[in-house]
Amino acid sequence: MAQARTTTAATTRGAVDAREARIGSGARIRGRIQGEGDLVVEGHVEGDLALRGDLTIAEGASIAGDTVEAASVTVAGSLDAEVTATGPVRLAASARVRGNLRGSAVSIEDGARFSGRLDCEFDLPPELGGSSRGEARGRPAARR
Amino acid sequence: MAANGNVSVIGRTTRVRGRITGAVDLEVQGFVDGEVAVAGDVTVDAHGMVGASIQGRRLVVRGAVRGDLLGEESVLLEDGARVVGDVRAPRVAIAPGALVRGFVETGEGERGAARTARVAAAATPARPPAAVVPARAPAAAAPPAPASKPAPKAAPALAVAGGAAGTNHAPHRRPPPPVVPALKKAKGQLAKKRER
Amino acid sequence: MASTVIGAGITVEGEITTDEDVVVAGTVRGKLSAKEGVAIEHGATVEADVVSGSLVVAGSLTGNVTAIERVDLQSGARVVGNVKAARVTIADGAQFKGNVDMEV
Repeated sequence: MAQARTTTAATTRGAVDAREARIGSGARIRGRIQGEGDLVVEGHVEGDLALRGDLTIAEGASIAGDTVEAASVTVAGSLDAEVTATGPVRLAASARVRGNLRGSAVSIEDGARFSGRLDCEFDLPPELGGSSRGEARGRPAARR
Repeated sequence: MAANGNVSVIGRTTRVRGRITGAVDLEVQGFVDGEVAVAGDVTVDAHGMVGASIQGRRLVVRGAVRGDLLGEESVLLEDGARVVGDVRAPRVAIAPGALVRGFVETGEGERGAARTARVAAAATPARPPAAVVPARAPAAAAPPAPASKPAPKAAPALAVAGGAAGTNHAPHRRPPPPVVPALKKAKGQLAKKRER
Repeated sequence: MASTVIGAGITVEGEITTDEDVVVAGTVRGKLSAKEGVAIEHGATVEADVVSGSLVVAGSLTGNVTAIERVDLQSGARVVGNVKAARVTIADGAQFKGNVDMEV
């Protein structure tokens, strides 16, 4: 478990209890972030995130880590991680994302830069093979 | 879509078992059980289905595809699209409601570099990537601020799409070294000159 | 009104099956089965057996034809193959080589 170490003001370790938490644009965080609510990242995070709420990565912000988990993920900045969301994952036009995305729905705006896998759950019509998923239903990490 | 009558349509009840190629735009309303590789734009309608890969200039998918989508310019997946396969194009847009299972990559990539070299050799060098650049300028011009991990890995790949110079492509675009016709007779001498 | 159009410049290699009309201005190699009408336009190349409700040919066709209603070869058509239909017309200027079988 990585310890939280900060090079500037903000520090986050353990549960973030505010309903909406924010990592300001001047903050750099190295470590693991866990939270019950929503989180807006305007600074730079190196590490894993596990949120119950919604994650927003603002333009100019960045997250780099192994795993990012949240209810929904909206990216306008930079993200390099495996993303697992129970809800939607949205990449805005300014997003630069690398990693596999898993969510109930994934949308990518024209102009976004992305490299990675998308794994939505759905079936093709029977003429195209129906529900034969082809690949094994493994965790994204196995395919990295 | 070209409105000049040069659009081919695979109608709603039509089923093609085989390949479709050509220098036209194509609209698939029915079922194509085979590869599509055309020079123009390809649209797969809401009821359309394609069972293999699709290659074209601009792809718009509203229906179902089991195969890779390779767009020379762009790929757009609209609400209702269902795609199992890889998606690659300089620009990729996936609307909410489109469902994808596969690898997705925006930007030129190696495939794009090869194509860019071909286009450069043929006619206008910088246009295909440059066409993308102006629209992307705000995103590309913004300093790649994050000093964190993504920057070193991502920067080269992103710079290709965003940089007008196309630094990664420069080697492809430099004209080949001039061949001096007079030396064609003496192969040995020519080889010596090349080694220089 | 045609519902499937294989435009000039398109090549289809394989089987085409449809309930609609088909207009071929490009190239088809393989097999073509349509419930309604098929039109092979001037400049088109079809190397396939054709089964359709009706057929109009102004381009090039190599293959056997079975049409329920009628087959019309227009001036400029070049057809090599056997034609079987209730009615067959071959216009002046059409080139044709094959058997014609008009069942009544």
